[in-house]
Amino acid sequence: MFDLILSKYNYWIYIVMMMIGFYAMIGKRNLVKKIIGINIFQTAIILFFVSTAAKKGGTLPIIEHAHGHGAHSVNAATYINPLPHVLMLTAIVVMVSTLGVALAIAIQIYRRYNTLEEDEILEQRKWSHNLPR
Amino acid sequence: MKILAFISVVITGIILVYATQDMPDWGDPNSPASRHVSPRYLEKTLEETATPNAVTSVLADYRGYDTLGETTVIFTAGLSCILILRRRKQRH
Repeated sequence: MFDLILSKYNYWIYIVMMMIGFYAMIGKRNLVKKIIGINIFQTAIILFFVSTAAKKGGTLPIIEHAHGHGAHSVNAATYINPLPHVLMLTAIVVMVSTLGVALAIAIQIYRRYNTLEEDEILEQRKWSHNLPR
Repeated sequence: MKILAFISVVITGIILVYATQDMPDWGDPNSPASRHVSPRYLEKTLEETATPNAVTSVLADYRGYDTLGETTVIFTAGLSCILILRRRKQRH
């Protein structure tokens, strides 16, 4: 039981962080709080993937003693896995881009309805007569 | 409403924690993510790309098309921000 916790607790920490973001997305009424919840969820997923790249006893994935030598054999087990780090760089950029577009949509919603609370927006839409169809 | 959200979040968390018992251990050098193509990138990065930094060589050389898609995503996001935030002139 204890070694189950010891070998998988990194996944559990990031699942807790994902669930915090998930609760903010569906449980809060303000639009900006929902957007922050989306951001927390995406950050937790990125950290989850990066934690799968670790290796016991491995160092940074920069080949040592590279300059001045010829070709020398590299033992791949002494360096941590570089592939999830690279894929998560792209994921971070996509995360920031979607945050920018979500905030622009929130600004435009505020200009139109003069509020950012979800229930007030739905109330205004229920009693409005000139909604685009 | 918030009670319902909290219950569904707890249920999702329990399902996810139950699913982690199939995942590889933390720091396992034989995990599926660290085999197949990743040791090839580490072993061949010096002779094929002359870059000791494995992350840079994978991002810019081996997976260059992914970086191209990433720049397309940035461009599309900037374009849609401009299009969303325009103010329309009042025409009378």
